[in-house]
Amino acid sequence: MSGVGIDAPGSTQLFIGNEAIARGALEAGIGVASAYPGTPSTEIMASLISVAKEMNFYAEWSVNEKVAMEVAAGASFAGIRAITSMKQNGVNVAFDFLANLVMSGIGAGLVLVSCDDPSTISSSNEQDLRNIAKWLDIPLLEPATFQEAKDMTKWAFDLAEELNTICMIRSVTRIAHARGNVRLGELPKKEQKAHFDSICPVVPTLPKFISYPSAWLHSQLHAKLDKARELFESSPFNWYTGPEEAELLIITGGSCWLYSLEAVKALKLENKVGILKLGTIWPLPRKLIELHLGKSQKILMVEEIDPFLEGSIKELVADLPPATPRPTFYGKHSGHINAYGELNPDLVIEVIASIMNLTYESRPAEYSKKAEEIPFTYMPPRIMTFCSGCPHRATFWAIKNALRLDGRDGFVTGDIGCYTLAIGPAGFFQMRTMYCMGAGAGVANGLGKLGQFGFNQPVLAVCGDSTFFHAAIPALINGIYNKSNFTLVILDNNATAMTGFQPHPGTGVTGMGEITTAVDMEALCHSLGVQVEVCDPFDLENSTATLLKAIAQDGGPRVVIMRRECELVRGRRDKKPPYKVHVDPDKCLGEACGCDRLCTRIFGCPGLVWDSESGKATIDETICTGCGVCTDICPQGAIIREAV
Amino acid sequence: MDMKVKGSKELLTEVIDAGLCTLCGACAGGCPYLVFYKGRIVLLDSCTLSQGQCYQYCPRTYTDMDAISQQVFGTPYSGDELGTTKEVLMTRSTDTRIKESAQYGGTVTTLLSLALEEGFIDGAILTKMSDDKTPSAFLAQSREEMLKSAGSNYMACPVLQALNQLPKDSEQRLAVVAMPCQILALSKMRQEPPQDRMNVGNVKLVVGLFCTWALSPDGFHQFLKENLNLPQVTKFDIPPPPANIFEAYTPSDKISFPLDEIRRFVMPACAYCLDMTSEFADISVGSVEGIAGWNTVIIRTDVGAQLIEMAKEKGKLEVDILLPENLAHLKEASLLKKKRALQEIITRSGDRKNLLYVSLQQSIIDRLLA
Repeated sequence: MSGVGIDAPGSTQLFIGNEAIARGALEAGIGVASAYPGTPSTEIMASLISVAKEMNFYAEWSVNEKVAMEVAAGASFAGIRAITSMKQNGVNVAFDFLANLVMSGIGAGLVLVSCDDPSTISSSNEQDLRNIAKWLDIPLLEPATFQEAKDMTKWAFDLAEELNTICMIRSVTRIAHARGNVRLGELPKKEQKAHFDSICPVVPTLPKFISYPSAWLHSQLHAKLDKARELFESSPFNWYTGPEEAELLIITGGSCWLYSLEAVKALKLENKVGILKLGTIWPLPRKLIELHLGKSQKILMVEEIDPFLEGSIKELVADLPPATPRPTFYGKHSGHINAYGELNPDLVIEVIASIMNLTYESRPAEYSKKAEEIPFTYMPPRIMTFCSGCPHRATFWAIKNALRLDGRDGFVTGDIGCYTLAIGPAGFFQMRTMYCMGAGAGVANGLGKLGQFGFNQPVLAVCGDSTFFHAAIPALINGIYNKSNFTLVILDNNATAMTGFQPHPGTGVTGMGEITTAVDMEALCHSLGVQVEVCDPFDLENSTATLLKAIAQDGGPRVVIMRRECELVRGRRDKKPPYKVHVDPDKCLGEACGCDRLCTRIFGCPGLVWDSESGKATIDETICTGCGVCTDICPQGAIIREAV
Repeated sequence: MDMKVKGSKELLTEVIDAGLCTLCGACAGGCPYLVFYKGRIVLLDSCTLSQGQCYQYCPRTYTDMDAISQQVFGTPYSGDELGTTKEVLMTRSTDTRIKESAQYGGTVTTLLSLALEEGFIDGAILTKMSDDKTPSAFLAQSREEMLKSAGSNYMACPVLQALNQLPKDSEQRLAVVAMPCQILALSKMRQEPPQDRMNVGNVKLVVGLFCTWALSPDGFHQFLKENLNLPQVTKFDIPPPPANIFEAYTPSDKISFPLDEIRRFVMPACAYCLDMTSEFADISVGSVEGIAGWNTVIIRTDVGAQLIEMAKEKGKLEVDILLPENLAHLKEASLLKKKRALQEIITRSGDRKNLLYVSLQQSIIDRLLA
């Protein structure tokens, strides 16, 4: 056994934060793990699922985060420890269940790991989920190191059982995806037995696992939170470093603790600035904080995204006896730190320096300028685009042509997946709305009912195959039911490609590699009573014609399935391209009238390269996957494909 | 009036969006950007070229009538009612099969068929109607295919797109049968042959059709679809004045629409057209007022004259003189179109010196405005 499942207590492994969290869950003896993939959370489940069979527990990629949350809760109800992991958007999907779950309490330890994505490196929105913990009265821990990521996760299960409520771990991209040493603990070896015990210990006639009577349960929850606060007062995940009397006290947690530590060190202020590092984020250990507040009259809150600690600690201060001197707070409210985006040590240095009236130059300005310029002199300029041979490029080519030919200013309402790149040149700027999973079809429902207001623009909603199962089905049903006029295009590439090719209900294989029923989306759509067409996006002519026909129709929704396997999946399996592609330079018109570099300027497959010296297009054989679609794009027949 | 050749962006703003596009097809089919679809020229993607053949050959961008006339006839543009003519005749086919499906006298199909038979051409760019009477241009390479094109439905059709789509290494010698605006664009192509497209020098015979206006292939087709069972229609006709009707024939019936009801589908661009008789063709062909089953034929070039002579000799065509009153009527109608168009052009430009797209000698302008 390797990776997160390695049975070597006391040894040190180099783990990314997500692996450390997974290891913590294994050391806690989980029996069930469930998740829907989403950056930066995906590797938690990916590493768990890779050892599930060998370690004799159950893991699944669920259809969406709400179901994933419910799957884990189900296991907990029957006495099996369970973890569910998701990105911040996923918690929104699971929110309704979560908000009810907190009322009832749990069975065995139940932990929700939510990975926030400050600066939205791979997200559609920026959101600080610590607020959800506060809102729903959920005990929340936030690791600052990889060791803590493992240890906290393990402890969260004990905590959940002790408090009889779900516990949350908040991670961020720089914890999730950075790598560090983790000292391993024991892996439990005992057999687990599941049994659902439904008798409520308080009112035997009531079921144990319901969120009713809510008001009474809510008061119970507050008591659980009080207990958590008590436990957190002495938690080893909270500590202070620095002088007894500090000129400045930094209160921080998570990845920001490391930034703060580094900043203080760089400024050589270890003797003047103290750092209170918090690992138990909600409920806050009130007494511990009050104790340290007295250390300085200047308090700086270093945290990412929302002023969560800042607001919550100010609430504590408001409750202090009137005579207590009020410190000056620095942070997001004061404008010293942005209430959005990631932080880094440089930013924290700047803030500390400005509060302490210091000047600090991390490196000479001239050097900085050079360092920032250098990458751009060596890196080839590249736009964010679909992979070479990606079926989505062909799909959006057909969509673009169909909408232009139709001529009524039609547009695409978008969704979350690789195809979100269609907001830019990769998809010829066709996608004009983009929110959350399933919103493409949902928003199309509203637009498709505006005929009475003179609205005549064709609405074309897109979603991926995994997204279709995740959240687009209710929107489609709504459209059928309410006769909304739109075309739903399902980009079926037989994988959850963007997050790393996880299987989904349509693929016929489970996360653990078991063969299963492939949910037939075509048959499903048929059964809903909607007209379905299936196209191969590489057949550009037929795809365009099919789309044109679909968008020309009136009445309720139509479905067009663009079916073509993700090129990366195909390439890995087949190990060879379907075609060998080359450009006949004698036929290539290049920039001349009649072409104007259509293939390299508009179609934009990275396998096509413009050779400015010869004034011709060429194929980059190292990148070209041999899909051969560009042959059908070239107006001169200059791109030649030969079957391999 | 801007004499400069520009690109597709300007073609869009100055011609297509400005309502001057005749749907001749000269801009379409030669590149991946401009295509004809359901009665419109569509720009699929932006082209960055500041000068394009799309703009250059458009019959509604700057057109030097003298230069074109010099190219075709060796003389400056006369501005006469019927343009440069050698002879104006009346003809009809002797071929019963052609006559059966002919709009009038079957002259065009007969001449093309003869030219093909004699090895003068290898094919012809023609227009045919689908079952649902959507017109489309195609390359006819046999007498049978040529017969498919007989008859008209009066809708504009981008004939030159089909020409632009021919392989550039094609050696086929061609005839083109087209409307005045299309022949004007074709003349611009022959004046400065296209780059990286079919060899326009292979066009050996240009047959022009008379045209007072063309109907929108989108709007009018919709109208037809709403009012007729289109696959059953065998022929459309606009009989010469004073009938003032549009007729659709089915095997059992003849349905008439008042011409005024049809006129609302006339392409707006036709209002600015000065040419009724396809003045830059080798031969121009139309109906004869008051004499059913015959065509008026204007022979303009030696090529045209030779072909008519051959058809006469081989007994393919019956040839007669056109009565002076018919000729007078034809000239009157043609002149009226010129005068109206010139007025429309000046009204639109607001300047007698600015004729939007056409460059004419001042004496011709004065004559037409008199």
